[in-house]
Amino acid sequence: MGAYWRHLVERLIIFAATVIISVTVVFFVPRMVPGNTLGALSAKLANVGVNFNSKALVDEYNSRFGLDKPLLEQYFAYVRQISQGDLGYSIASFPTTVGDLIKQALPWSLGLLIVTTIISWIFGSVIGGVVGWAGGRSRPLQALVPIALVLYTIPYYILAIILLFLLAFLWPIFPITGAYSAGSHIELTPQFAVDVLRHAALPALSIVLVSLGWWFLSMRSLIVTVKGEDYITWAEAKGLPAPRIFWAYAFRNALLPQVTGLALSLGQIVGGALVTETIFGYPGVGYLIFSSIKTLDYPVIQGAILLIVVSVASVNLIIDLLYPLIDPRIRFGTAGRS
Amino acid sequence: MAVSVPIQELAGVPAPETVATRSAWQVLLHNPKFVLGLGFFLVLLAVCLIGGFLAGPIPLRSGSFPPKLGVGSPGMAIAGTTTLGQSVLAQLFQAIPNSMLVGLVAAIIGTTLGALLGLLSGYFGGRVDGILRVLIDVFLSVPSLLFAVLVAALLKSVTVPVLAIVIGLFAWAWPSRAVRAQVLSLKERPFVQIALLSGLSGWEIVWGELLPYLLPWLGANFVNAFIAAILAESGLSILGLGPQQQMTLGQMIYWALTYGALLQNMWWWWAVPVLMLIGLFLALYMVHVGLDELSNPRLRGDG
Repeated sequence: MGAYWRHLVERLIIFAATVIISVTVVFFVPRMVPGNTLGALSAKLANVGVNFNSKALVDEYNSRFGLDKPLLEQYFAYVRQISQGDLGYSIASFPTTVGDLIKQALPWSLGLLIVTTIISWIFGSVIGGVVGWAGGRSRPLQALVPIALVLYTIPYYILAIILLFLLAFLWPIFPITGAYSAGSHIELTPQFAVDVLRHAALPALSIVLVSLGWWFLSMRSLIVTVKGEDYITWAEAKGLPAPRIFWAYAFRNALLPQVTGLALSLGQIVGGALVTETIFGYPGVGYLIFSSIKTLDYPVIQGAILLIVVSVASVNLIIDLLYPLIDPRIRFGTAGRS
Repeated sequence: MAVSVPIQELAGVPAPETVATRSAWQVLLHNPKFVLGLGFFLVLLAVCLIGGFLAGPIPLRSGSFPPKLGVGSPGMAIAGTTTLGQSVLAQLFQAIPNSMLVGLVAAIIGTTLGALLGLLSGYFGGRVDGILRVLIDVFLSVPSLLFAVLVAALLKSVTVPVLAIVIGLFAWAWPSRAVRAQVLSLKERPFVQIALLSGLSGWEIVWGELLPYLLPWLGANFVNAFIAAILAESGLSILGLGPQQQMTLGQMIYWALTYGALLQNMWWWWAVPVLMLIGLFLALYMVHVGLDELSNPRLRGDG
């Protein structure tokens, strides 16, 4: 188990480095903008046209970040604040905290993306596996490959625009924007649930279609590789029924990298689908980042980025720690993780 | 969420077999996907450059045409006009080369930096390797679009080259990890050992023995980075973080959406750049597949 411990320590170092580097970048990059931060903040407030007492806000910032103190001292104060889970205040919607804004947005992103990611993963893997297994023998199945290629190549937000045009303007069966009808209360009634589902339909469809193409293509190529393995030939020589060879031998072995892929994409969903959410006005984390860019609300942008980095890095860490336990073929050491 | 990872990487396909440079071009020129993709790309670029030169700057100005003309209007308004009466076709002539420039610059930066760091890390190993491996892993686990968003938001007004550099600086981690892995396996092979024994220096081996092996893979990665950069550019532009003083395909879509092309049913305004973007992606993807098949002969024929 010595090798595993070394592996564990190494992955922990990488996790810590990821978080530290991200916090540092998120802290220093905004301060590299020419002009002092305070001036920049108040100028931005004037730009944005926020009418409330910006002097009070600037003072609040001054004391919060200790902007009159040396940069390094500010940095350590920032790190201390972040490590206590305090992401600070939003500028655009002061005195709401960044944490509260993210808490409001997160459920929408998670709900939309967990469902769509899993649906497209299941369908993509199964169809891709079947098509890869059939190979050149089945012409109609092979016709799916170029379709998947087109879907995979199209950026997901391009598909979003096309769907929006077709199904919300040309043939208006779905709402254009938002996650629920304006004015409705968030409550657990059948009507509200239907409303939410109708609003989620188009963003969900655009995400499912595009990622379906990706899962399809990667599973197909995995199955094609597995097909040439000796254990498949062996299973065929033993005279096992074809469905059993496919599901129990080929599909199962090809599934492991797909599971890793799924876990990696689930790690990223905390960030929402930045551009898709923006196009559909869907109030998730991606849309929050977008509207913070519009109002130059740096604390929110920084907070959201840190949250995403930490969740992505955590998922990577978990995968790295679990993978060698699941698959004994993974070797450790310098050449192991390539 | 489509992550642009070459598919065969996931399948754990071994390092590419040697392809002599002489025959490499012949193999590529006999690959219909490669020829078709590259052909489309070059024709598109030529049409835009010549068209943009012939059209001059006037059709780009607002008020040059009646506003909201549909597709099929005479002259430069054949692809329709915007709400301000600019020719969509003339915008396209500017946008396509600019988008290609973003892809080119970002792909050059990402691939060169990635190859260099990967070779360094993989061949020389040691402490440099340790640090680089951590850095690579950090960059791979951070969603790069987000940091590009942060940088672009702070720069306020970016230009096409600046945007290309920002995107390129986030594109080196994947190639450097892949190059590093390939170098680790290559350096155990007999020909490298022989080169070492015959007294070649480390750099001579990296440059003369390892790099030629990696070139086909780097070519495929270059095209992949090209696609990813155009994707990142259009994404950033749609978010309002693009080069707003210039035209790119993403910027065209941004203006169309911002000025309500969808609501006013002016489909040509957004559909023309969208179709061009898809065409460009498909063409580049075919080039990518062609290069992949070159570096990995197992992919050939199985289609």
